Amino acid sequence: MTDAAFSALASLADPSLLLMLAIGVLAGLVIGLIPGLGGTGAVAILLPVTFGMDPEPALAMLIGALAVVHTSDTVAAVLLGAPGSASASVTMLDGYAMARQGQAKRALSLAFLSSMAGGLIGAVGLTLAIPLARPLVLSFGSPELFMLTVLGVSLAAVLSRGNVVKGLTAGFLGLLLGLVGTSPTTAEERFSFGSLFLSDGLSLVAVALGVFGLAEIASRVGQRRVAEKPVELTGGWASGIREWLTHWTQVIRGSLIGIWAGILPGVGATAGTWLAYGQAVATAKDKRKFGKGDPRGIVGPESANNSVEAGDLIPTFLFGIPGGVPSAMLLGMLLTYGIQPGPAIVTDHLDLMYLIVWAFAIASIAGAFLCFLATGSLAKLTRVPFAVLGPGLLVVMLLGAFQESGQLGDLWVMVALGVAGFFLKATGMPRAPFLIGFVLAIPMERYYYLTASLYDGAEWMARPGVLAFAALLVVPVLWSLIKRLRGASGAADDGHRDEHENVAAAGDELEGSLAGTPWSAAVAVVAVFLFGGALWVSGSFSEEARLMPRLVAVCGLVAALVLTWQEARVNRRRAGRDAVKDAREPAGGSGATMLATRVEPRVDTPALTRHHDLVIAARTFAAMAAFLVLVMVGGYAAATLVFTPVFLLYAARTRPRTAIIYTLVLGLVLLSLPSLLPVDLPLGALQ
Amino acid sequence: MTQHVNEEDVATTGDHDVSPAQDSLERPAPSPRLTGAIVAGFAALAVGVSVLGGDLLNPPASTTDGDYSGETVEMMIPLAEGGGTDTWARFVGAELTEAVPGSPGLAPVNDDGGEGILGTNHFMTSAKSDGTEVLVSTASTVVPYLLELPAVHYDFTELRPILANGTGAVVYARTGAGVRGVEDLVDRDKPLVFGGIAATSLDLTTLLAFDLLSADVEATFGFEGRGPVNLALQRGEVDIDYQTTSFYGPAVEPLVEDGTAVPLFSLGQVDEAGEIVRDPNFPDLPTVVEVYEQLHGEQPDPQVLDTYRAILALTYTYQKALWVPEDTPDEAVELLRSTAEDMGADPKFQKSAAEVLGGYPIDASADLAERIGEAYRVDEDVREDVLELLETDYDITID
Repeated sequence: MTDAAFSALASLADPSLLLMLAIGVLAGLVIGLIPGLGGTGAVAILLPVTFGMDPEPALAMLIGALAVVHTSDTVAAVLLGAPGSASASVTMLDGYAMARQGQAKRALSLAFLSSMAGGLIGAVGLTLAIPLARPLVLSFGSPELFMLTVLGVSLAAVLSRGNVVKGLTAGFLGLLLGLVGTSPTTAEERFSFGSLFLSDGLSLVAVALGVFGLAEIASRVGQRRVAEKPVELTGGWASGIREWLTHWTQVIRGSLIGIWAGILPGVGATAGTWLAYGQAVATAKDKRKFGKGDPRGIVGPESANNSVEAGDLIPTFLFGIPGGVPSAMLLGMLLTYGIQPGPAIVTDHLDLMYLIVWAFAIASIAGAFLCFLATGSLAKLTRVPFAVLGPGLLVVMLLGAFQESGQLGDLWVMVALGVAGFFLKATGMPRAPFLIGFVLAIPMERYYYLTASLYDGAEWMARPGVLAFAALLVVPVLWSLIKRLRGASGAADDGHRDEHENVAAAGDELEGSLAGTPWSAAVAVVAVFLFGGALWVSGSFSEEARLMPRLVAVCGLVAALVLTWQEARVNRRRAGRDAVKDAREPAGGSGATMLATRVEPRVDTPALTRHHDLVIAARTFAAMAAFLVLVMVGGYAAATLVFTPVFLLYAARTRPRTAIIYTLVLGLVLLSLPSLLPVDLPLGALQ
Repeated sequence: MTQHVNEEDVATTGDHDVSPAQDSLERPAPSPRLTGAIVAGFAALAVGVSVLGGDLLNPPASTTDGDYSGETVEMMIPLAEGGGTDTWARFVGAELTEAVPGSPGLAPVNDDGGEGILGTNHFMTSAKSDGTEVLVSTASTVVPYLLELPAVHYDFTELRPILANGTGAVVYARTGAGVRGVEDLVDRDKPLVFGGIAATSLDLTTLLAFDLLSADVEATFGFEGRGPVNLALQRGEVDIDYQTTSFYGPAVEPLVEDGTAVPLFSLGQVDEAGEIVRDPNFPDLPTVVEVYEQLHGEQPDPQVLDTYRAILALTYTYQKALWVPEDTPDEAVELLRSTAEDMGADPKFQKSAAEVLGGYPIDASADLAERIGEAYRVDEDVREDVLELLETDYDITID
């Protein structure tokens, strides 16, 4: 075995192979920067290039790209709050918070170094895991996979900042949204209301970029200047490495969880990053800063999301079950070289397996190193006002979302979800459980159904793996209940606690700014109606297809009703307190109040800020809708050329010269993009 | 939070190089005339780009002159990147375009809506009929067509085939479930659990085979793909499964060798005379028909057999195909078809394509259109039989 390992390493010393690897890494980094393209885009652009090559250089190139896509997709998540994948949304929680406190460079350094280590440990794990993979995969039956999905969603709901009821409500809303489309068990359409477009379910990229990315644009575009604390530019690379080294245990734990999760076919790659975040929070003594820029919240998941990619290669090669589109394409490529996936690949093509391992390791190091070198200049991006970034970002994100399905409908869904994401954000509902619920809804249903039909009665619940996961779920909850019962009575006061958190979260002025107002009560009521409506609609499904939607709707209804009750209580109390409050200084006044300050410096109450935020968001979403209408009429390039200057001149108030140059550059990029990347521009009716 | 921001950092970060942003605070809205001029300029540019640019960049194709040089063949793959069909299509498409005189470029387009239905619908309504747009069909789009699902707006009889490629499949079972051979398929105490994806997918053919044999099998659907079913069988969650030819070798053979599984029969192939024959890749395995004779000592019911044969031809013998719109000029169709035929006969191609094609030759002979047309013109009886089976045994009604 070691012979093969070293001969593979020796073959990588071949300059042409290294060149291919370098091309792969560069392509992967560039494509990863564009939210929404991700690994699929990277493999899709490189795959045609590999036709006619020998398997070794072709593999080196593709693995090079795959290994680094999750390194550079962190950039958009951390700097702009626009995660293009479910795993990037985890890094975003703390990374974006840190960036908004002016520490973008620190957040990126931590993320890149962790990516590097994650990739490296992942490559080692890939080697060691090959003999263990088969028993491990076979020991995970449908019941264990089901529990894993439950664990993923509950961890996200419980660990996200804020109150647990809000987290659960958001998680159930996400699950419900994930159920839209064709049922995995009976192939009947649910919640699609007769639309073939909805019968496919919503696209992950559209949901992630809508709920996070567009909501971010809408909430920050009101700032015509940089409101954050100044960007931290000093502090050399050495200090970044030093700080990162203090978190080395998180790196190792995150990477190991990533490998383990990646090996599990089907759900691992999605749930893995969350499990890493979950353990980081669970094992931390001081949990208060998670979600507000805790370095451990970046290091753990970021190490995991690169080692997940390595772990994912195991089911891909050994069982022919890829964890995602990129590894599926890799599989297809192997097939065209006459290499069949299967347990025999380890004996028949051991040299190739080691080539993959080494290529993965080298690419991770090189990719993360390149990104690390660039952190300083990347971090400067946070100095550009969001109003100026806005149109460019919008154009790029919508284009990214369009690539997955090629449907204009996805873009409308994205804008609608942007509105939803804005309200979730403003009312302090965590959006991460929403996204993870959306991603895991179908696997959860699939494995629940399979468990229920393949096992007699409740015998599956006694399986050791299931018991272990159940313990992971229940023990922390019981523990906190016990602590709460023993602890001070004041801790039970949810409304009070929320407000304290808002003050602490000064890094993001909108987050939770509407919490405790009639707006957040309205969000709770809307949730009640959504769950109620879903319950009613699900009555028309067949028995098997009804199971999961009903369960989600009922549980969600309970959570939403509790939330409504809490909101009502808080609102009542607030009404009584308002008189007192008017005299006080605003609690979370910063950033977005800037404009309000300019207009009317003396009446700077939170209510005015809120009103101002809402007006700006409403205008921005209207502008997005107008853009989509333009796209439908004249096509993407034409719409961009018209929309961008108008937005820049009126909303961002840039100089006419800036607007012209900006638009021309954006237009040129758009027109040249289809020939450089596998990107299609939406066509309009007039084209 | 502020503990991490060094005082020095704050001090050194001047706002001087973000001046455009700062200026903007004081800048009033631009004058309507200036804005109007800028926007009008860009609008004119936009019109120019989208209307003229499109025409200039895409001159009309000339494919009837026996030469595709300078053209780009757009291949509509109605399924996601990375699947078996995608791999097949990209490989065959690349080889074919390279062999066509003039070596046109190839632009694969994955439009994976509605499990293949949306992309195929889209091709049907908007594909150019100049020989530069090609559709890929596979079992996922053929079965809904056969069942006449309401979402299907395409009709294979209104398309012209370029080439077809079949595959086969083998049904195998877990020895741990007490299966030693085909005789254990019937008269069981406990039915065998079959793991499937959906009754309206490629599973349909295997379900028809079970129905034909009156095998004692109970199906559970909902698996993500055939790979996961194979794993579930190894874990003992399911008892019986099938794998297509290309996955049988790596996924099932090791299990057969170590005694965990036993191959039972192949689904067979439909030969040129329309008979069900042994799969050339599994000459030692009996076909469904042979197993029936062995189990029941007689020939299967002719009507049931007809239905099975029709579905087998559609979903396996002509499983994957490339098509062009009906109005495509004969010269272009003939050029593509004959190129495909020569390519399929080329030993070099056969060698490099062995794994992707799964051991079944490229079928592009002159009478392909006729044979494939016959297979795709499904009798109303056959369709009704299938619908009845789905309704009675699997509780699926198609309106």
